[in-house]
Amino acid sequence: MDEKTEKDILQDIANQEYEHGFVTDVEQEFIPKGLNEDIIRLISSKKQEPEWLLEFRLDAFRRWQKMKMPTWAHLQIPEIDFQDIIYYAAPKKDSDRPKEIDPELEKTFDKLGIPLNERAALAGVAVDAVFDSVSVTTTFRKALADKGIIFCSFSEAVREHPDLVRKYLASVVPVGDNFYAALNSAVFSDGSFCYIPKGVRCPMELSSYFRINAKGTGQFERTLIVADEGSYVSYMEGCTAPMRDENQLHAAVVEIVVEKDAEVKYSTVQNWYPGDAQGRGGIFNFVTKRGICKGSGSHLSWTQVETGSAITWKYPSTILKGDNSSSEFYSVAVTNNMQQADTGTKMIHIGRNTRSRIISKGISAGHSQNSYRGLVMMQPGADNARNYSQCDSLLIGDKCGAHTFPDIRNSNRSAIVEHEATTSKISEDQLFYCNQRGIGPEEAVGLIVNGYAREVLSKLPMEFAVEAQKLLQVSLEGSVG
Amino acid sequence: MIPLIDGEADMEEKRVMKVASGDSLQRVFMLRDSASLPVEHIVLEAGSAADITIVVMPGVSCDVRLAVDMDGQGASCSVQGVYLCTSDEDVRITVDMNHNVPHCSSRQLFKGIAGGSSRVDFFGKIIVAEDAQMTEAYQENHNLLLSDDAKVNTRPQLEIYADDVKCSHGATVGRLNEEEQFYMRSRGITLQEAKVLQMLSFVSPVFSHIPESAAKDDMENEIEQAIRRL
Repeated sequence: MDEKTEKDILQDIANQEYEHGFVTDVEQEFIPKGLNEDIIRLISSKKQEPEWLLEFRLDAFRRWQKMKMPTWAHLQIPEIDFQDIIYYAAPKKDSDRPKEIDPELEKTFDKLGIPLNERAALAGVAVDAVFDSVSVTTTFRKALADKGIIFCSFSEAVREHPDLVRKYLASVVPVGDNFYAALNSAVFSDGSFCYIPKGVRCPMELSSYFRINAKGTGQFERTLIVADEGSYVSYMEGCTAPMRDENQLHAAVVEIVVEKDAEVKYSTVQNWYPGDAQGRGGIFNFVTKRGICKGSGSHLSWTQVETGSAITWKYPSTILKGDNSSSEFYSVAVTNNMQQADTGTKMIHIGRNTRSRIISKGISAGHSQNSYRGLVMMQPGADNARNYSQCDSLLIGDKCGAHTFPDIRNSNRSAIVEHEATTSKISEDQLFYCNQRGIGPEEAVGLIVNGYAREVLSKLPMEFAVEAQKLLQVSLEGSVG
Repeated sequence: MIPLIDGEADMEEKRVMKVASGDSLQRVFMLRDSASLPVEHIVLEAGSAADITIVVMPGVSCDVRLAVDMDGQGASCSVQGVYLCTSDEDVRITVDMNHNVPHCSSRQLFKGIAGGSSRVDFFGKIIVAEDAQMTEAYQENHNLLLSDDAKVNTRPQLEIYADDVKCSHGATVGRLNEEEQFYMRSRGITLQEAKVLQMLSFVSPVFSHIPESAAKDDMENEIEQAIRRL
């Protein structure tokens, strides 16, 4: 490739801004920095929570204090001062119009392509929009309620459906599960709650959109999805944050309960601010996501497109407890510049005839490090269980790294586990072929990468697929070398 | 093809084996009662080759650790092994394949059968250093589980810091194919014999590249007898 054009392209990209990097200027309410029992009491009282939830938080906090930051991941995480984070930040409500959304916030979400107005173009999707520590609004609530579907912010769910929340909260991710899950359990602010009653097929896509805005804060949202017997829901999650020199922490917990014959499809397009080309700033995305296929014949499907965050530590997992239940994990993780990602999945097979499939596509460029880490466990009762995993890595440039760390544990002789992984780069031949037909190097890489990730992208809901494809292109621009 | 012959490997320390430039080393380690390898670390200089075969016989619990450093360009290394577990063995195999320089190639192939209440841990790592371009590294680990009490954990890992490489790994844990058994039984082969044939063919790729010799015949006989007794 021409040395000069290559440089030009790189230059262009270095100057290119992260599209969602703006800051919304709204009056916000903060609580003091730091983390202690008083702060937790303060968060709890701000949210007018019942006593049991405060106890839950305090218990989590006490456990968290005894825990250490996990170091097993293939990541270099700078020291995080947990006392230097603001754990609660909320846009102030206009006292004259307490029911309405601040127009400034509405504009923000509009700019991000998330219409909070139900008449908007994206009519097929109900959105729960979370801004820093609070949920701004949830659209289409009424239309959903007619079907018996509960879709609201987590805080509302605590007030209005305490029994459901109490029954399922921490039933999939226990309080002391890991360091970040314990932290989240102690300080979680808002998130989405979703309950699909028996036999109901959710008529539209549900989605949460998370936005970090305030400086010096962390976002700790909690999502709980319960699909009762025979129901179906497709859930999407998106996120962005402003460009800043500081690192901001995002430690979420997502719990999904899938009852008998129910099906949940969970899709994420993660586009947190990844930091600049020198690795300054960016979000630390340390997330615990886990679902349980509780009843027989249940199905849980994870699809994720990870393009953002300075550091990603994320393993959406499924516990296949019900007989004949199945789960899938489709992932595309892209890292560029100084980004680091350690992501993958866990499939725990407990029930008979359980099936799981893992397709992971890692793409690393620049100076980034991209790891797949997965666990497939066949417990003694998992008769005839089956897993197939495929993890491919694509390297673009000679300064990046791609790693694969699968862990396979089989204790059942009728269970079959297969894993395969490959690592390769975009071949000169492929690029030459495209160039020869008048496709520029940049576009050619985009084309090849999209083809490479197609198997995963095709699993995304339509609303997301287009965005994801664009994102892939943008994330990799300037990485041709 | 240049036959692999025992090279002038000098034992620097007790457990480190250095293969000098252009030499080749071939070794077969049969673990019958000893629980570890006599060599732990192999260093390959430019253009040298090493071919290591490890056979863990039934009844042997072991903790095999082998690290290979490819320090010279053009080195190649092949490590393969078979483990046969019938009772309460605890077999651990750890292989570190370090590609430190460009233009090296490595292959790993481990196949094992776990029966009884045995426990197998395979931990294989390929590390390709930042400048080790044009590396080819492959790793495979396949396991058969014969009983409900046996356990197999396998962790094949790739750590790759260079881009012009061809690396892959594959791992499976499964059972004997019943359709194959049916095929053989419908042709008058007993179930027991069918299983033996399946297991023999399962492990045979591990030895396929070793040149024919009396020693190889002996080894294969011994393994066949062990499989028949499973």
